[in-house]
Order: sequence, then structure tokens, then C-alpha cells
Amino acid sequence: MTLPAAEAAKLMMSVTEAGGATVVALVVDSPYKDYTGKRLAIVESTPGAQLNIHGGLGSEALDKKVSELMWDALQDPRSHDGLRRVETDAGTLELYLEVKRAVQELIVVGAGHIAQPMAHLGALLGFKVTVLDDRPDFATRERFPEAERLVAADFSNPFADITIHSRSHLLLVTRGHKYDYECLIRALKMDPPPAYIGMIGSRRRVRATYVQLLDEGIGHDLIDRIHAPVGLNIGAETPEEIAVAVAAELVMLRRGGTGLALKDVERIAERFFKEDEGEGQT
Amino acid sequence: MTREDDRTLTDALLAARQAGRLCVLATVVETKGSTPRKVGARMLVDPATGLVGTVGGGCGEAEVIESAHRVLGSGVPERVRVDLTDDLLSWSPAVCGGIMDVFVELIRNE
Repeated sequence: MTLPAAEAAKLMMSVTEAGGATVVALVVDSPYKDYTGKRLAIVESTPGAQLNIHGGLGSEALDKKVSELMWDALQDPRSHDGLRRVETDAGTLELYLEVKRAVQELIVVGAGHIAQPMAHLGALLGFKVTVLDDRPDFATRERFPEAERLVAADFSNPFADITIHSRSHLLLVTRGHKYDYECLIRALKMDPPPAYIGMIGSRRRVRATYVQLLDEGIGHDLIDRIHAPVGLNIGAETPEEIAVAVAAELVMLRRGGTGLALKDVERIAERFFKEDEGEGQT
Repeated sequence: MTREDDRTLTDALLAARQAGRLCVLATVVETKGSTPRKVGARMLVDPATGLVGTVGGGCGEAEVIESAHRVLGSGVPERVRVDLTDDLLSWSPAVCGGIMDVFVELIRNE
């Protein structure tokens, strides 16, 4: 019994939304012609949970073999979606494997100038975006068409109405450093800790914040987890540029990049087209 | 595909299923070189509502739509190779310098 494409798509969305992961296999070429187009899905509803299997590819033995392949892809954070080959008695079967991991969330605290481009870029990068502010007329649908959640919250207890988990990325960009600080203290004490805590602020401001945190007994290990000043060093000035710098940092952390210019990493001209400096000299 | 794209396509697939309509799903399953869309990009060809999503537009997408019409008639899935490497140095926007494999399948929704 196969898994219809619509069911597979729905499964991928609902499972990843709830913090689980799925892998879907689709037969794109098979010596058994009636297997082509069949789907098999494995679902890990929470990290470490027992797998559920949906659909099937045509035979139990094949399902077993392929689900092992799917499990390997799920375990490997660097695995790429794409074609895999599986040998069967009748010949080579080709599968398209697609891994969908738990949805990552971006929670923008403060609905001001940086929040708007940030919500936009966050949605483009696949984050489920929440915008939170204590001014309901700022966190509006008109200003944040891409945000999936708009939350009116008191900054004295900003995360009362939302669940923060290990897939949450917090960006603190409220209208006042006092509010950023209150949110920061709460963010640092969260269990489980969020994936990312970024806070806007100049070098001077960030230093003052850290002095205050140390005074309150927050340890260096926790302070090390704060991304402040926020974003990569691209010389950002405008709210839009700052949002790009933060977005770049989020991608770098997700993919494990260095944040350096590829030109300087690869040095193509220098490595492959180096001029012979000694030419013509004795 | 962004979450929004995913949702739009999932909704379209579910709507076609609800209505019991035959349609065709095209999925980019492999790419080499530079291509307009990456692995996992999808397009639904629903005879009642048209196209949802894109596998890159231009001539390449036209080949896929042609295949979709054949698949709608025959029910037999196809694999379309879209070759965008014709002339790397021409500045035509359709020339990306890559090859894209697209799996085109009938969605029966009975």
C-alpha cells in the first residue's frame, strides 16, 4: 500500500511543524514497473522517538532495505536530498529521498524597523516567524505579512504565551535596551536553552549589559551563548542591512560556514592562474 | 522551497485529492551545475486550476508541462532531463549551465 503524494506532503508539514522529522522515499525508476511512483515515509515524531512507517514501495523486503537507507539519511545532518540506488534481484531501483527536519523558529522580540526586514528574510530562509511586542499596533498583519504569529506581550514576562524550545532562535530588538535586557535574562535561564539568542547593541552597550549580567550572577558560559553585537561583520548600517547581517549569521550557524568571503577562502586566481613571477629573469 | 511554497503546494494537492481530480506532479529529483530551481522543487499541473509552483520557468518548464500532458493521458510516469547547458556564454536568462532531472507522475486521487 503506497502513500499518496498529498498525504506525504501533509505528513511532512505537520510532523516538522510539531518538532519531528520525516524522510519520504519515492521510486523514480524500477525494474518492477508498477513500483514506480510509490512512496514510503518514516516519521520520527520527537528526537529519539521510535519510528513510524507510512506507505510502502511494493514489497516488505524492499521497504525494510529502503527504510534503513532513509534512517541513515536522517541521522546524517549533511545528507542531501536526491537520488539513491538500491539493488534488487531484478536489477537496480532508483529512489528519490527527501529529508525534512523539524521546523526552526525565529522569534523577533520588538516589532520596530529591524523586525520588518528580519521577519521577511526569516520567512524566506524557512523559519517559522513570530513577532512579539507590547504595542499591539506595531505587531500587525499589515506590517508583518510573512509572520506566522503576532504576539502582544508584556516585556516583564515576554514569553508567557509562547513555547520556547531548542529550535527557537530569539532576536532581541525591542525599542529600549531595558526591555532587551529583561528578555535576555529570561532567555538565558530557559530550559531547554534556545538555539540562538541575538541581541542588538553597540560594543559599548553590549559591554554594559555583560557587566550587569555578571553582577546578577550570570556565568561566563551563559554569556558566551549570546550573539551580541548581532550578525556578521558586513558593515551593516540600515535596518535592512542589519537584518541581512543577522540572516547571514543564522545561515552560517545552520550550515556550519565560516562567515568569510568565498573569494578569500577559494583564492581561485591565486591558486590556478598564478602569474609566473620569475619569468624572463635570470 | 520556502515554507510558504510547501504549504501552497500541499494545499493544492489536498484540494485535488478532495475533489477526486487527476493531476500531475513534477519534482526536481537531481541537478548538476547551475539550475534555476534545486532538488525538491515541485510543480503541480492540475487541469482544473492550472499550475501551482514552478520547476524553473522558460523552455525547461515547457518541456515538463508537455510531459505532464502525456502522463495525464498515459498514466505512465516519465523522467524529463532538462538540459540548460546549450551555450554557457550566451547571456540568455534561460541558459544556466546546468542539467535538471524532473520526475513527472500521475496523481490519481481516486
